[in-house]
Formats: sequence, C-alpha cells, structure tokens
Amino acid sequence: MNPRKDLITIDSLSDEDIRTILDSTSAMKEIFTKSVKKVPALKGKSVLTLFYEPSTRTRSSFEVAAHRLSADVTTFTVSTSSVVKGESVHDTIDTLMSMKMDYIIVRHKNSGIPAVIARHCKASVINAGDGAHAHPSQAFLDAFTIREKYGDVAGKRVVIIGDILHSRVARSTSTILRRLGADVAYMGPGPLVPQEQHTGIPRFTDWEQVFRWKPDVIYLLRVQNERMDTPFFPRGDYHQAFGVTEERLRRIDDLNLSIMHPGPVNRGVEICDAAMDYRNCLINNQVENGIAARMSILYHLTPQTQNND
Amino acid sequence: MTDTYITNAIWALNGAELDLRMGQNGESPLTLFVDDIPLTGVCEVAPAGQMPIPSGARVINAEGKLLLPALFDLHAKIEIAGCSKRESIYRNGQAAIQGGVWGMLVMPTPGFCFDNAYTLDSFADAVTQRSAATMIPAGCITEGMEGSQQTPYNTLAARGVSILCDAEHVTDNLLMLHRAMKYAAELGLTFAIRGDVPALTRNTYMHPGSTSYKLGLHGTPACAEEIGLETIIRLAADTGAKLHVQTVSTAAGVNIIRRAKESGMKGLTAEVALHHLLYTHEDVADYDTTFKTVPPLREQTDCDALLQGVKDGTIDCIVTDHTPCIPFAKKQDFVSAPQGMVALDTFLQAIYTQLVKPGKLTWKDVVRACCTNPARIANPYDQEEDTPVVAPLLLFDPNTEFTVTEAMMNCGTTNTPLLGRTLYGGITLPLC
Amino acid sequence: MPTINKAEIEQALDAWVNHLLQHTVPQATGKLAIVGLITHGDVLARRLVHKLAAAGYEAEYGAIDITLYRDDLSLRGIRPALSSSYLPFSPDDMTLVLVDDVCNTGRTARAAMEVIFEYGRPSRVELQCLVDRGERQLPIQPNYAAFTLTAPQNTRVQLRLTDIDGEENITY
Repeated sequence: MNPRKDLITIDSLSDEDIRTILDSTSAMKEIFTKSVKKVPALKGKSVLTLFYEPSTRTRSSFEVAAHRLSADVTTFTVSTSSVVKGESVHDTIDTLMSMKMDYIIVRHKNSGIPAVIARHCKASVINAGDGAHAHPSQAFLDAFTIREKYGDVAGKRVVIIGDILHSRVARSTSTILRRLGADVAYMGPGPLVPQEQHTGIPRFTDWEQVFRWKPDVIYLLRVQNERMDTPFFPRGDYHQAFGVTEERLRRIDDLNLSIMHPGPVNRGVEICDAAMDYRNCLINNQVENGIAARMSILYHLTPQTQNND
Repeated sequence: MTDTYITNAIWALNGAELDLRMGQNGESPLTLFVDDIPLTGVCEVAPAGQMPIPSGARVINAEGKLLLPALFDLHAKIEIAGCSKRESIYRNGQAAIQGGVWGMLVMPTPGFCFDNAYTLDSFADAVTQRSAATMIPAGCITEGMEGSQQTPYNTLAARGVSILCDAEHVTDNLLMLHRAMKYAAELGLTFAIRGDVPALTRNTYMHPGSTSYKLGLHGTPACAEEIGLETIIRLAADTGAKLHVQTVSTAAGVNIIRRAKESGMKGLTAEVALHHLLYTHEDVADYDTTFKTVPPLREQTDCDALLQGVKDGTIDCIVTDHTPCIPFAKKQDFVSAPQGMVALDTFLQAIYTQLVKPGKLTWKDVVRACCTNPARIANPYDQEEDTPVVAPLLLFDPNTEFTVTEAMMNCGTTNTPLLGRTLYGGITLPLC
Repeated sequence: MPTINKAEIEQALDAWVNHLLQHTVPQATGKLAIVGLITHGDVLARRLVHKLAAAGYEAEYGAIDITLYRDDLSLRGIRPALSSSYLPFSPDDMTLVLVDDVCNTGRTARAAMEVIFEYGRPSRVELQCLVDRGERQLPIQPNYAAFTLTAPQNTRVQLRLTDIDGEENITY
C-alpha cells in the first residue's frame, strides 16, 4: 500500500489499498484474543476525535481502536455555542494544528468538511461521516463482516434498504462492496432512493422486488427522522412497507439471508424485535469488527507530522 | 487634442448602425476618424484608402483586428468583502474595461444596498471619481432586499434607476410583488427577477444528478426555476410591468420564455450567465467551490438549449453574473462557501475563445446579446446632458494569446475556473 | 554470492532438532512450544515441530507477527502488511522457543518478547535461529544458531524457503 495521509472516501483508494486494510483487519481482530488487548504500534501518537454531530457509537469505536494501538486519545468537544457563533472550520483547523495532533477523526453535518480539513493540516484525517457524502470506516467494517461470514465479498448480493438519499453509509458501503465484486441494490421509499441513472445501482421500492433479486444480505439503514426538516414520506407506513416484519423475517430465515444494520437500531421501525435475535443477524459482529477495521485504518495511514520539515 | 484615425480595422458585422452608414456589407478594412471624446464618438467612416488623413494626426493601424461595440453587462456584483466601497468600484471598473465591458448594471448587495436616495447619490459620486467603466445601479425591489416593504420607487426612478432587483433573493410573498409591479409599472420600471421557489431550493447546493449523489449534496430541482418563471411571467403580464428574467439555467426555462414571447407578451426579456453556457454540474467534481453557483450548473442538454435560446433570440443577453468571492470564503467546504464566479476581467476573451472560436456563436450573436440588447434594456442615460449614452467601440485582436493568471484579475479575487487556461483576444478599450 | 543450499539447510535443521532434544527439552520447565516469527520463522518452527514429533517428542506450535511491535514503525512511510498471530495456548508457565530466520540487530527478538508477554507469563524463553549474522544493536544473543556467518556489513542475508518463495537457500 502506498503511503496515504487521509481517508476521506472509498473512491480515493486503490484496489490494493482496500485489500490491504481488509487483510490487516483480521490481524487486528486477533489482538482481541490476547490477555493484553493492546499493541504498541501507535505509541506516542496523538489521536483527536472531532465530532460536530453527536455520535456515541462511532466515536467510542474509534477511541477504543486508538487505545488498542497505544495512541493517546483526546476528545475535542465542539461547543455548540462556537458553531452557532459561526466559527469557521478554518479557525478550528488552526487550533488543531497548534495542538500537533497526528490523527484527526472528524464527523460533520456538511458534506465535504473532512476534505477541507485534510487539505489544510499535516495530520492524517479520517472521515467519520460527513453529511450524506461518505463514511469509509463503516464501509470497511461492513465489507469485513461480509467477508468473515461468507469467506469472500465477490459474487455476494447485498440490498441496502431505507433512506438512501440521506445516507453516507449507503454510499460508502455500496462503493466498497461493488469494488470487491459484490452486487448491490437499493430499496426504500421512492423519494429516498436516488435514480439508477445517477447511481448505477438497481433501485427497488418494495420487498417483492428485493426477494426476486435473490440477495444474500439484507442491509437495513436507520430512518433518520432528525435529518428531515420536511417529512419525505408518511411516518406511519414505514415498518409495514419497508421494515423487517416478523413475517418477512420468516422468509429471510427460510432463505438463510443475513441481516446487517449500522446502528443504532430503531426497533419496530426498520426491524422487529425478533430479528435482533435472528441467527444470521450480524449487527453485533459489525460492532466488534468496527474496532478492528478502525485499528487497521489508523495503522495504515501515514501522518505528515512525523516529517520534521 | 490631436485627431485620431484608425486604419485597416475589420468591421465584421452586418446590420449594425455603422454598417448602414457605410452602405455596404462588412469584412472590408476601413478607416475611422475618432473625435476627442475618447469613449463614445465615431465621427466618420470610410473604406480603406478613401479618407484623407491629415499629416500630424494620430493613426492607429488596426490591421487584423476587429472593430466591435464594447460590451454591456446586465448582471454584475461589485462588492468585495473586506474592501472599501470606493476600492471595490475602482477594481471592478478596471476589470470591466479589461474584459471589453464599457458599462454594467450593478446588482444591489448588502454593502451597496440601493434602496434609498442617499446610497444612490454616493454611489454615483464614487463611480464618477473611481470607475473606468459606466456603472448603473439596479434599485432594490424591497427595503434591505428583505422581501417585505417596497422601496421608494419614485425616488429611485428620479435618480436614474430603471431596473429593480433584489439580487439573488427571491421573495415568496407574491402579494407584495404583485403590488410592487402594479405600482412600478406606472413608472416604466423593469423588474429583474430569477425564476425560483425558495421553499423548494432551501438547503440545496447543486444540480441533482450523479455528482450530487456522489458528493452527498442536496439537489436544486429544475422545477423550482420553471414554477418561479411561470409565476413572475404571469404577475408581470397581469400588472403590465416590464420583466427581465435573470440567469435562466434550464432547458425548460428557455421553453417557458419562448412560449411567453411567442404569445405576444410585451416587455419580457431574459438573460443567461456565461457560465451556464459553458459548464455543467460535473465540473463540481470533488467539491470544487469555484463551480458553486446559484442557480446551479446543470446538464449539457441545458447548456445546449440555453445556447440555442441565445441564437434564436429567446434569451436576449449573455451576462457575467460577476460575483467576487475572497479566497478564504471559497476555501470553505462546498455547503458553507458562497456562490458565484468572477467573469468581468475576461468576459469578451472568454466569449471569443469558448463560444465564437469553436463556432457556437457568431460575432453577430455576441454583439446582439452582449452589446445591443443589454444596453437597450438598461438604457444608460446621461442625466446632466439629458442624452442616452452611446456604446464606445473597441478593437479586438483575435490572434493575441495569453494565460489567465491571478495577477491579471483586476477585480481582486480569483474565483474563476479560467486560472491557468489559455484565452485568445487582445482588447483595445478605449480606442484612444 | 555465497550460498547455502537446500541440502545444507536440511542438514542444519536435523542438527537443530538434535540440539532441541539434547539441551532444550531437558532444561524445559512446563510444556515446550516452538513459536516462529512471521514470516519464515513460522515455517521453520513448523518443520522443527514435525521433526520433533518424528523423534517422538510432542511440542506445541505457535506463530507471531511482531509488525505492530516494531520500534521503527513511525519512521517508515509505508506500513508493513500485517499477518495474524497464532498462539492456540496460554504461554503461562511454559517454555517457549522463539524461532527466527536471521538474527541480526536483535530488535526483532526484543519485539517478539514483548508480544509473548502480552499473551501470558512463560516460565522460560529461548531464542534460536537458523542464521546468526552478528551486528547486534541490543544486548540479546540467540541460545542457538544453526549457522554463524560473518558477512560484510550492509550485506543482506536472505533465507528463501520452498513453502513461501518457491526455492530454498540462504544468500549473502
């Protein structure tokens, strides 16, 4: 893998980069079996988590990953007041540069912010989700989870279900899976699924089409009510129309399909209670693999801070 | 002052005033006698060799160069953040002359809020003192461009305002607009408005398509422009106000204007920004904020339809939609960065290189869309002399080749996709 | 370029197994594990375990990847690829023989010991290698070396094994 400072999108990675990060994820996961669940690879390096959007899961996953690589982790609390005051990202970047951080993990509601930060600082910038643009670490953990379950991603069929329009997860995960040779389809309420001509990805709007397509993995997205200022669809319909109901779970079980979800889950909306205990529900594997994947990402990036120029 | 003669210039246009006086079709070199009002007057014209040039006169040999009327731009913003008003006026005046533009309609901006007599008076003074180009202010439709209270139209009109505009702010208060149009129609004022429905375009950043999907940016639906156009056209038709449609960006928008004109609607004109003829949403590529515009850059089919509209006269004018943005502002992320690009500095050179040279437009189209029509719509008028202001002539050397550099941008900002690109065209303006 | 060939390596491995049986096994406290350092060391370790088994002695097999414990990681632009360690037992109270292909600066052995102690507390650890080429930078000596070479400074001593490289020799 060539030296790479930042991870902003899956698109920016070569096939070899993707393979290398996935392969190292297995090695990272093996560390969890040791009595000391820690390696000194990033000893003395400083990692900053800079989250402009609330997130407990992704943030702690990155923090655990950094700890397990022996890095020092700082949490930068972006006070809502300074955002309201209109402090530009550039001012924040200046502050970060003075802190001499090696890795900055950033999440922001605006698409494209991590790229701006990456351009202006020497630290490695990892995009932990920007607007509806990209969420590459999620893509890696998803690809790894599928590879772990099936041995290979190539040839698998994955249908991503839900609010595609607002979903950075759908964009990044579909990109990595297709790069690895999987087939991806989108399904969801009409206004929330972009046209195939814009995405190159088959577009379904009901479960019958999904089952006819013969998927291996049902990937459910979270319905993000908090992102919709004006509702896109009638709220009451979602579970019956697009969720994994108990009846659909039986079909999924019969067909031996897997269920994935990036979390946090809205029970009774995307997914029924029973599905959480379904034998092929990979949601917990995703969480565990998330730490390993993020360790692998941190390990393979090279900050410019170590050069003394 | 010495008399000046221009020899061997090529007057490449048919049907224009100068040509009629010559009584023949163009393309033949000719000699001009230019009098001592350097920007405006052409006194005598004769085919080459037929006008005696007195000894001691200043002679400009224009061999190989085209003689054109200078351009008028109907849509420019001149406010530069962090720059004084007088400095902004000076720099944009320089920029305009460099791009072959002798005059422009200046859009109101927060710093140049043309909603009162005082601002208009001080602006006129500053322009007289500082600007190399003519600058005509577009009066605000509403106070502070806030879309609620109409500005004093009589007062503005008395100060020479003939076009009203709230810049990019489109109101959703149709009742206010209806009443404003009724009132202003009596004064003969023109409304310059963009087709838009704010509720449909709020929190959107670019044309919806493959690029917006990839970048995760919400798309600005084309139907917002179409609905907005239908709305303002019907309001104008009902009130009898003159309407100038600003920056049409969609093929459907062109069709709506074409239909309205065909139905015999009077006092309807329309413009397209140069960048909407040249670039598409795909140019945004990886969040290139240079290509963030309002309305957004759309599909190639829209570019083609807009160009066709210019050629068949549906679209009356090509404008710069010149919007200086300081580098810091454009370095922000795509959502936060301000919209717009600058175009005055390179206007005629870019039009020649990107439209005339490749054969997409003829010089005749350019003169109609960038000189005659915009000047007729803005109707520049010298209040003191009580005469209309006539466009000056310029010489254009199509063989001059240059690379656009930051240092070349007189306007002081560099938000143009042309940096580093090669353009053709050497401009002599004023002639002497 | 001097070369040690496949037959000589095979001979050396037999001698190595003899050493293990006569010296290491009698001194071992607890169970004995042969732990190879990825890559090459793990292949050697597996062969040694097989040879020991043929001689009637059962030793555990393990392999560790020391990449994440290297002391020069942050000095390199490119991060080396990772392999998964394989230690299917707790090293507590065992005797571990770390098997390396070429023992040089001693830094690999240092990292390997750090790895081992994160899995548990062995009662005894030995370092044995196929080639000792000297030039140590740390106070670490192998307990056993099948070959001891005095190669000129900065020459690369390289072991190739059939299982990995398709040929088998040592060049320097």
